[in-house]
Amino acid sequence: MVSFFLKRLLLLIPVFLAVSVVIFMIVHLVPGDPIDNLVQINSSPEQKAALAAKYGLDKPLYQQYAIWLGNALTGDLGDAIILRRPVADLIAQNIPHSLSLGALALLFSTVVGIATGALAAIYKGSWIDRTTMTLILLGSTVPSFWLGLLLIMLFAVQLGWFPVSGARSWDALILPVLTIGLGGVALVARVTRVAMMETARKDFVMMLHAKGVPPWQIELRHVLRHALLPVVTILSLRIGWILGGAVTVEFVFARPGLGSLLITSLNQRDYPVVQGALLMLAIAVMLGTLLGDIIQAAMDPRVREGIK
Amino acid sequence: MRLISKTRLLASSMLVSASMFGLAVAATAQEATFVVSAQNVGTPSYNPITGTKLNDAITLIFDRMVIQDADQSFHGQLATEWESTADGMSWTFKLRPGVTFHDGEPFNAETIVWWIPQFADTENAFMTDAIESVQVIDDLTVEFVMKNPDPNLLSNMASGFMSIPSPKAFDELGDDFGVTAAVGSGPYKLESFTVGQETMLTANEDYAWASDLSENQGAPHIKTLTFREIPEDSTAFLELSTGGVDLLYSVPTEFLPRLESEALVQVGTMPGTGLFYIPINTTVEPFTDIKVREAAAFAVNQKEILDNLFGGVGSVANTFLIDSLLAANVDSALKISYDPDRSNSLLDEAGWVLGSDGVREKDGTRLQVALWTQNGTVFKRVTEVVQAQLKAVGIGADITVFDSATINDQYRKGTEHQLAVRSYSWANADIIDWFFSGQRLGYPNVSMWNDPTAEEMNVAAMKGSRTWEERVANFTTYHEYVLSQFVFAPIYQPVQIYAYGKDSITVPEAVRGTRLQSQTVVDITVN
Repeated sequence: MVSFFLKRLLLLIPVFLAVSVVIFMIVHLVPGDPIDNLVQINSSPEQKAALAAKYGLDKPLYQQYAIWLGNALTGDLGDAIILRRPVADLIAQNIPHSLSLGALALLFSTVVGIATGALAAIYKGSWIDRTTMTLILLGSTVPSFWLGLLLIMLFAVQLGWFPVSGARSWDALILPVLTIGLGGVALVARVTRVAMMETARKDFVMMLHAKGVPPWQIELRHVLRHALLPVVTILSLRIGWILGGAVTVEFVFARPGLGSLLITSLNQRDYPVVQGALLMLAIAVMLGTLLGDIIQAAMDPRVREGIK
Repeated sequence: MRLISKTRLLASSMLVSASMFGLAVAATAQEATFVVSAQNVGTPSYNPITGTKLNDAITLIFDRMVIQDADQSFHGQLATEWESTADGMSWTFKLRPGVTFHDGEPFNAETIVWWIPQFADTENAFMTDAIESVQVIDDLTVEFVMKNPDPNLLSNMASGFMSIPSPKAFDELGDDFGVTAAVGSGPYKLESFTVGQETMLTANEDYAWASDLSENQGAPHIKTLTFREIPEDSTAFLELSTGGVDLLYSVPTEFLPRLESEALVQVGTMPGTGLFYIPINTTVEPFTDIKVREAAAFAVNQKEILDNLFGGVGSVANTFLIDSLLAANVDSALKISYDPDRSNSLLDEAGWVLGSDGVREKDGTRLQVALWTQNGTVFKRVTEVVQAQLKAVGIGADITVFDSATINDQYRKGTEHQLAVRSYSWANADIIDWFFSGQRLGYPNVSMWNDPTAEEMNVAAMKGSRTWEERVANFTTYHEYVLSQFVFAPIYQPVQIYAYGKDSITVPEAVRGTRLQSQTVVDITVN
């Protein structure tokens, strides 16, 4: 298991390097120059050049990349050009909000998604299955922006149970978690349902039935357990999606987080912040995938064998 | 029965006591939460000297030498008196005694001597460009020796960008000033600032130098004031309607009917400082022909846009300046108002013949132009209506939507745009210089207009005026010439709309100044 972990970790190194190149190039190829946001309209080319030199933007791209990556590996993500603060400070200020929102949304998606999917699979073809799947279909197609506003209207404005927006209290997390989590519930429930129905057709399940094991025990102990493998894969892939995909939710709920930091910085072409935030999101995706692989390996020896 | 009555009585007494206790707590709490305008979300710092974007809290942390009322009159804040010589080459300011910064440092003539040179080489250097030096006459009197007359000096000094920081704190904090801390002499002290999220202010209990525009001459009534940054207008509106916040600095016009129906919300309006318009690229065909420019300008139905998109709130724009500016009083023959017959005649004269699909053609070339806009619901809607209005006179327009950061870079290329829907917010006639000076082609001179006559008028208006009256006359002449060349089409003048919870705070009926600033905020009370 340790060697499996180390091998997977080593595989992340080239992935990390490739991702860092892509992030750096995308940010620099997008039209827009932060220096134009900083200098006076009438500034001479010399003044612009001096400012570009101050932020290292006068060097060839490959040199800028090497300097940025070298510093990033030591934890120095540079200083924000427009926001005028160390990027690491900005990220440290925002990442706890993203992590708490993401972790709770993931937990909600997992618990409710698996429970709903299992119910739908167990009662396949019944009204429970049809109702659940219809609700799931609705949940997965409603844009998070709109869903967020709907939840605010219902739970904050009409019922007054939760704050409309902000991050001042724990209950301000509930509606954003529901907004992000409901999309995940739909996905996890669909995967769980299909996986359970496929598992239910396997020979060992037939044998369990033949042995007279109670149906609920077969479904929950055996079928669900085997069906969780693809669910774990989906969940690990969703970690990055949840962190990055929280952008609109953070916007609607006026919450701090990596997503809102990314949008603010992107609009101002604040390269160091955009690069830093994207790098953090990429690392989150990679770590999420790694975590998923480890859990899968722990659950299924075939996965451990497969990498040898 | 008696038992029930007693129980009810007891319960009622408890409720009354609780209410009274609650009221007492509210009366002593004096806390409020305001929401900054959505366009000010993400303001990076509270450094007035180097900042290019400042949010609504700036005038609460810092004081200015003078401030302006809604009627454009000037009132002393840190200056008590001022006068300029007849030739405009010298200004003398008497300073208010007894003023101290939040860090205990005194405000005096030395502060001004230190302050003015700080603008050199900053984005805001234009504010003090005309000042050669500052001379100390005595501890509370300074003289500005001018390089050239600048009748706009008072207007600049009333701007938030000319707020005065504590020299000691400014020098000590360096680049961190306004980021980690900001020290001024205003009615509020900065307690904390989280960029993009919120700013916490506490009342400056020593404050005793409010201007004569404020009734309250002492410390502000609200003791703890939080400025929240909410990027989504719908969310801000819902926060106000549920009592989560007490005041919104800015409300989109489309929210007005809904807000007015809210029983607990009071809506207020102020004259606007903004204007929507269409710059016309004068260097690209077919707009090198002034007749085509004129035709495009007269094809825009301002009234239709005002009524259908903005519910009649605000006013139509017929010139490049907002109506409250004196230089907006131009010859009425030069005003640009919807006239489709004139547009059609001009296009006929210019040789553009109406094609079978409703788009004109000339020598095999269709009158199909690029119409740019930036993202945002209002911009997109206005642009779509303009597209339809242009089509009505035979001008086809292809809309391209850019994000706000990209579009300025695209303008700088100078050759790819033809028409655009834009807006500005500025209450000074020098906005004509900003958008039409030949020194700023591409952006902000999106019209790419470089005309020798206009440049001469620009110099006269910007640097050749000795008095305010002369400046108004010069800018009016310059403005009229710009109008006569049809380098833009005016569209709409919005009003400023603010809203607050009636039950939570009391805002003075008349907002003083051109925006909701310190002169009004110190008078706001918590109910």
